[in-house]
Amino acid sequence: MSDYAIEIEDLVKQFDKLVAVNNLNLNIKRGEIFGLLGPNGAGKSTTISMILGLLQPTSGRVLVNGVDMKRYPEKARNEIGIVTQETVVESELTAEQNLMIFGRLYHIPPSELKKDIDFALELSDLTNFRHAYAGTFSGGMKRRLETAKSLMHAPKVLLLDEPTTGLDIQNRTKIWNLLRQINKEQNITILLTTQYLEESDQLCDRIGIIDHGKLIALGTPSELRQKIGMSNIIEISAEKESLQKIATIFRKVGLDPQVLNNKVLAPGGNNATEKIERLLKELSNSKIKIQNISMHEPTIDDVFLKLTGSEVRDTTGEFTSARGGMLVRRR
Amino acid sequence: MGLIGDTTTLVLRELLIFKKNLRVNLIRSLIFPIIFVLLLGSFGSSPKNIPVALVNYDNGAIALNFINTIQLGNGVKIVSQTTQQAAMVLLSEGKVAAVVVIPNGFSSGVERTVHVYLDNSQPQSASVASATVNAAAAKMGATSSSASLPGGSRGLVSVVSNYVYGASSNYLSFVVGGILVMVASFGAVFTSGFTLLSDRELGNLKAFLTTPINKFSILLSKIAYGTFQSILSAYIGLAIGLLYGATIAAGVVGFLELIWIVFLVGLGFSALAIALAARMKQLQTYALVAQTLTLPLSFLAGAFVPVNLLPSFLLPVATVNPLYYAINAVRDIMIKGFLPINTLLTTSLILLTFTGIMMFLAYIFFKNTSNNL
Repeated sequence: MSDYAIEIEDLVKQFDKLVAVNNLNLNIKRGEIFGLLGPNGAGKSTTISMILGLLQPTSGRVLVNGVDMKRYPEKARNEIGIVTQETVVESELTAEQNLMIFGRLYHIPPSELKKDIDFALELSDLTNFRHAYAGTFSGGMKRRLETAKSLMHAPKVLLLDEPTTGLDIQNRTKIWNLLRQINKEQNITILLTTQYLEESDQLCDRIGIIDHGKLIALGTPSELRQKIGMSNIIEISAEKESLQKIATIFRKVGLDPQVLNNKVLAPGGNNATEKIERLLKELSNSKIKIQNISMHEPTIDDVFLKLTGSEVRDTTGEFTSARGGMLVRRR
Repeated sequence: MGLIGDTTTLVLRELLIFKKNLRVNLIRSLIFPIIFVLLLGSFGSSPKNIPVALVNYDNGAIALNFINTIQLGNGVKIVSQTTQQAAMVLLSEGKVAAVVVIPNGFSSGVERTVHVYLDNSQPQSASVASATVNAAAAKMGATSSSASLPGGSRGLVSVVSNYVYGASSNYLSFVVGGILVMVASFGAVFTSGFTLLSDRELGNLKAFLTTPINKFSILLSKIAYGTFQSILSAYIGLAIGLLYGATIAAGVVGFLELIWIVFLVGLGFSALAIALAARMKQLQTYALVAQTLTLPLSFLAGAFVPVNLLPSFLLPVATVNPLYYAINAVRDIMIKGFLPINTLLTTSLILLTFTGIMMFLAYIFFKNTSNNL
């Protein structure tokens, strides 16, 4: 038995001209919660699809608990549970029926199925909604049901593709707690993809950042935070012509600006509020008009800007899901 | 568990969803047959009291009995009893739809062939007249032959009927037989392919494929569910047809034979639907293809008008159309009242071969798709 829950070796996936995953090497340790971060089109979903065996790699291989997904897909699939981006619960089935069908598909013996269903309902806090149709559930309830569903067959590894995208804060916290609980109590390795630095920071033992199908950073959240200087980000948007002038003023007040298409931004450092005041003063002195000024916690975008120096691109190669177009990034 | 277990689970899922939407599903299964049976059934509903001229060269009791039998049920009305020459004039003038000639020696059993001359410019009337006479002849143990007038004048066409219509034959049974097979194929195509694509769009397909099931069980469950829907639609269609006046001449056995034929149609067309849908991503594309395929296939199979009325260049299409054979078999059962074992075997073989080919294609296409979702 290998020490890793998931081993990704020299993984490549090419669609026509687009190389979605480019020679990716990544090992997920047993028992850890690992966050795979990256913008849309970075290759996250493609990687997940290949781990699940939904997509055949152009080259390279994936081992799940030491089992080669390509050679023994059925055995490997028994080791993985998956919560997808699209929240796949069947609206036209009740919570119980949803669990029953998947239990049977995972070949859980009929004698144990009922017990497993009860446990899954309890785990997802849906015991009272056993006979309610999943179509009547809120987004959070659906997500919880799906998570419980994916754990029915007691997998060693749980994959979650953007598990909290589009959820409110209560449901997000509930999912986080659920994940921590199963990770600790059942010793299940968790691999999740996310666009929220905050989420991976709260939840993950280690984070990998992926872009252009390559791993560009790997480490614990604190290691990565050090890398970008986890302070608030000051951002000013303005007309294109004045951006360079604004950047000069940023430097004047001791900030390290980055100029993008329509805005200038920089990590605020320790006394960000004071710096904003000085910035505004300087700006009004030099009579530069701005459209907006804001300060926010660093997001994955900011990590990216720091690491790659380019603005996060929108969907290019990522699989478009049914809801893909509707997902709104937070910033 | 294996293939059968996985398929059972997935069929169970379809049935649970079906049950949830029971009312909508039933209404959907009802609408189509109702519209077609009511519209087309009434459209050509069996004419009554069709004028027929009788030429009787025999004066025996059996001939009189035969004449009485013909007139039972008011299908035809003997408007004139005359010489053959005069009768043929009436036929050519369109005053009667058929001329029935009872030969001399009919009663004594020397000559038992009744000749029927038909005016095919009124096909509905002609077919009813021919059917009625045939039925009477069959009852009497005589043989009848629909024949042409040698060197016939315009408007007089020989009709060599493909079918020896049963006693209660009418256009309604003819149409209901066609509709039965048509709704069976529609039921299959609009269930299996649609659910496969909606599962794909909703992500269910992906979810199934992440489980350790045999991929092929997904196809089999869709085919099974499509077949189920086919049989349901066909039998709702049949029930409406029967309520409206169609009959199954072959009785209870015919009912069982119909299940078999409809089952085969459902199976074949569900497999066809999956083969079509396996490579597609969007429901709209599939709907378009399915519609443009199924309706013409039904027409070309003679669901509404006999195939021999189609333009000659379309006839080859009928012979490679599995629905054509299914419809013929169904009409044998419903109208003729007897499905020869040969026809049953050939029809079954053709439909099973069709199913086999489609399943193979579905498997190849789906295998490709499921590796690149």
